[in-house]
Amino acid sequence: MKNKLWATIKKETLILIRDKIGLSILFIMPMILIIVMTLIQESAFKTINEKGIPIVLVNDDQDTLGLTIYKGLKNSSLCFLTDSINGKPATSESARAAVAKGQFLIGIVIPKGATQAIRDNVSGLVNATLVVDSISTAATEIKADSVDIIFYIDPIAKKSFITSMTSYMHEFISTVKTQIMFQTFSAQIAELMPNNTAAPKNTYSKSQIINYKEVFASNLTGEIAPNAVQHNVPAWTIFAMFFIVIPLAGSIMKEKKDGSVFRLYTIPTPYLLLINGKIIVYVIVCLLQFLLMLSVGLYILPMFGLPALQLGNSLMAIFIVALSASFAATGYGVMVGTLASSEQQGAIMGSLSILLLSALGGIWVPTYVMPQIMRDISSVIPLNWALEGFYKLFFRGAGVADILLDSLKLILFFIATMSVSSFINGLKRKI
Amino acid sequence: MSRVPIVEIEDLTKIFKDSDEPAVKGISFKIYKNEVFGLLGPNGAGKTTTISILCGLFAPTSGKVIIDGMILSGNAATIKQIIGVVPQDIALYPTLTARENLEFYGSMYGLSGKDLKEKINVWLEKLGLTKAANRRIETFSGGMKRRVNLIASILHQPKILFLDEPTVGIDVQSRNVIIEHLKELNAQGTTIIYTSHHLEEAENFCTDIAIIDYGKILSQGSPKDLIANTPGSSNLEDVFLNLTKRKLRD
Repeated sequence: MKNKLWATIKKETLILIRDKIGLSILFIMPMILIIVMTLIQESAFKTINEKGIPIVLVNDDQDTLGLTIYKGLKNSSLCFLTDSINGKPATSESARAAVAKGQFLIGIVIPKGATQAIRDNVSGLVNATLVVDSISTAATEIKADSVDIIFYIDPIAKKSFITSMTSYMHEFISTVKTQIMFQTFSAQIAELMPNNTAAPKNTYSKSQIINYKEVFASNLTGEIAPNAVQHNVPAWTIFAMFFIVIPLAGSIMKEKKDGSVFRLYTIPTPYLLLINGKIIVYVIVCLLQFLLMLSVGLYILPMFGLPALQLGNSLMAIFIVALSASFAATGYGVMVGTLASSEQQGAIMGSLSILLLSALGGIWVPTYVMPQIMRDISSVIPLNWALEGFYKLFFRGAGVADILLDSLKLILFFIATMSVSSFINGLKRKI
Repeated sequence: MSRVPIVEIEDLTKIFKDSDEPAVKGISFKIYKNEVFGLLGPNGAGKTTTISILCGLFAPTSGKVIIDGMILSGNAATIKQIIGVVPQDIALYPTLTARENLEFYGSMYGLSGKDLKEKINVWLEKLGLTKAANRRIETFSGGMKRRVNLIASILHQPKILFLDEPTVGIDVQSRNVIIEHLKELNAQGTTIIYTSHHLEEAENFCTDIAIIDYGKILSQGSPKDLIANTPGSSNLEDVFLNLTKRKLRD
């Protein structure tokens, strides 16, 4: 039996090595895919993560509120702020036109007199609080805020960006309003108090009570930044591993087409053993693909100015996920090869299903940006189990225990596909 | 000397799914040890179906098959050890060399090491393929492929050799070499069961012939007996046409 298995492995290896196009599909294509996709997505990641959201500010106020918003946004890592367009100071009209063209995601216009409107409003409030009934009603009249800060929004801007920006605005307005209120109160109290005693002018700035502390919940204390490399290398590696369906299903279909299967069914060797030979070879190919793709992440991508892939804490856990994903991919290939009734049908069925499964599994777009229903669907896709396993390892510093469930699901998928293949094969032979 | 049956078929029927007509309709016959048995018939007569059932490729709808004293159903694994099958198609891996193909199929029959290598060399030599042994099958001519196709099925010296049109589409030289070595195998004790459309070849090669059409055995006997017992026949082709008529088949 050992000799037969070895002969099968040798035969499959020779056939595979001599299939130059098949090899290029398995190794060259995913390498190119990883480099191209990472470079494309890295620029998007950089725009958002490093430079921030491109925003144009029109500060017609030129007073406290306008300056506070300008300084606040300028110092924020969330956005990349400018107040000029093509070398000229931005105006409401030019900002709107630039956003419409997609030059900026958001345009903000602080109208003239915005700070004065807040002052008037605060002044009314302070007077209403401090001044006694005898004072005329005109003096205590509270002027309502009538400042309209205009947001020009590019329709492609994410809702979360817009919400972040409006939150920023609320915070700035609130800060300025409180500051003005504090100053007005201090001035009024100083007038009322003997010896002209007023609150110290810098008291407000010292009054920050609640601070925010960012703590990473995983073992990796945030040293691995989510970037295109960390997502694309595992994602496209899994895609490449599952793309093995095409040559594997093709190999099964070729045996059917050229009549080899006729002879194979009549020899005193269980068909399962012949299939096991294929599985061993293709699992090894998957693991080689995985190693190659990791090498691309570690050594090739940095040559393009991209960050190197960071592997997390457990090489053993990485091997376990890679091995179980290899079995899942190979099992799927055997199933497609068994179900298909021609080489063309196998190739179409294999490639389309892998494209669909990779889209659903979060290979193209990470699942966390998907709507809930798509995330629910994604959670039953084998490619997503493998991707989740690698995410845990590469982003969250997980260990062997953390990825066992993902690996188990992949192995169960392999068993399921092999059972289906065996059943279908049995049915086909009962013709 | 009494003849010993090596293949016994009783009331064999095969109905394929999605088919109205049975491919084989309750046929019964015996094949004796050391015979060269020819199963002849027009296209779609039921020859390949019968051979496929005998090889264990698929199960019959009903009926019984006994091979070398063992009922086929339940003993398929043991029976596969003693049979060799030469399929109608060239069942070889085109990107492997002749030697690599033979090493693989020989291993599948349990051969290994020096024994396997020697057998491969002997047969390659006999069939004039030594020089081409390390060339890929895809570079071979039709006749060369047929010869390798034959060797892949006889390396393990089967008791029974099934051949489904082994000489189709090849030149006279290759055909003669194949038939010559099949006769040699037969002389060494291998029972040969073969189908062909070459009636002259069958007339000269077979010791017993069954003519099958529409899934039924029309006549069985030695070529001489068949010619003698079919009125208006001077050779096997006349017998064939008299029994199966001249209607074109699909």
